Amino acid sequence: MSPRGKGATKEQARKAPATSMRPALPREFIALHKQRRIMDALAELTAEQGYEATKISDIVKRAGVARKTLYDNFEGKEEVFLAAFDAARDEVLRRVEEGSAGADEEWQDRIEGGLAAFLGFVAEQPTLARMCMIEALSATPATTKRYEDTLETFVELTKRTLPRDEGLPDTIAETLVGGVAWIVYQQIRRGETERVEDLLPELTEFMVAPYLGARLPE
Amino acid sequence: MQPLPRGRHGLSREFIAEHQRERLLAAIARSLDANGYECTTVAAIAAAAGVSKSDFYRHFESKDACFFAAYDEAVERLRAEMVNACEGRPGWAEGVCAGLAAALSGLAANPSQANLLLVEGLRAGPGVYGRFQAAVESFVPRLRDGAPQGAPAGGPSEATDEAVVGGIASLLARRVLAGETRHLDRFFPEVAEFALAPYLGVAEARRIISAR
Repeated sequence: MSPRGKGATKEQARKAPATSMRPALPREFIALHKQRRIMDALAELTAEQGYEATKISDIVKRAGVARKTLYDNFEGKEEVFLAAFDAARDEVLRRVEEGSAGADEEWQDRIEGGLAAFLGFVAEQPTLARMCMIEALSATPATTKRYEDTLETFVELTKRTLPRDEGLPDTIAETLVGGVAWIVYQQIRRGETERVEDLLPELTEFMVAPYLGARLPE
Repeated sequence: MQPLPRGRHGLSREFIAEHQRERLLAAIARSLDANGYECTTVAAIAAAAGVSKSDFYRHFESKDACFFAAYDEAVERLRAEMVNACEGRPGWAEGVCAGLAAALSGLAANPSQANLLLVEGLRAGPGVYGRFQAAVESFVPRLRDGAPQGAPAGGPSEATDEAVVGGIASLLARRVLAGETRHLDRFFPEVAEFALAPYLGVAEARRIISAR
């Protein structure tokens, strides 16, 4: 443990007589909570100043944990990024799957439900959205790979939701997901995430239109 | 591009400088394609171009400066190919098709440029993705202007124009990453249909594409 880390711990112990309450919380809960704080701190700092400029010392300061705590839980900055990315991706996927579930609904409504869930997440969590959709692309080769794998997961999910249509090319789902990602990416870069949900009607139309068109009698 | 002959050759200083610059731009694109951004060093670029490191620094102050110049030139080259192909086409749809076909075959013929434009443009950080974004966006008015108004469902929205162009860029980037750059022109029918259908409807889009 670094001298600074030790100092911080002692100081916290002095300041907080509430430590008497700590034993009530299970150790794993505290560990998870600290991991969460570290991941959130990295996401915030990355959104503010970029991945490259974000140092371990910034992260531990923002998270209010000792340097050792970070290294007890993560190998380093990249692993914190990947853990934060994975947590955000799992949450988005869960919401999008939930939003597009409804077995008795029309596929158009399920597409709209999935898109609404996705845009809702971006509006609600602009920092995470920025980290996952912008910073991940350029941070490190491993984060780029994560981004591409996640795009693939969304392509698969979209394929499952859209109707099977012999008349449309195999690449249509890829192009549609890429188009939506592009629009949302632009919106995040412009810092207009609070208005991202306004795009729902246009993006729904964008995703649905090729299938409606293909079904018209020729 | 071959290095110039050494010794007395009677070539002008400007000619040599321009030739070196072109070789460096081609070399950085090849190195990025083969080794990625991190491993592409100034020394590696200079060696691949057959110039010395000090020659490199006569042209560019850093790797990034060389990268940006290579990126900008690649965008301009692609744009010129697309514009030339569009010219003299009878209508909007034919022009879009010709431009897309030229872009796909141009990228397929030059994999390191395709990688530079479509993959490195998104990966290499703020200085470049601003350029990538500007390049992609610059194609939006080309698609929108002259498009038939009042197409199916009252015509596509502004976001649709952007999503069409962004979707195509994303599809092509994924194909490049999958190692299919040499065959990008095979995607012409679906890319063209994707571009035209929002404006003309699928049936008309297919008719025009198959008539080519």
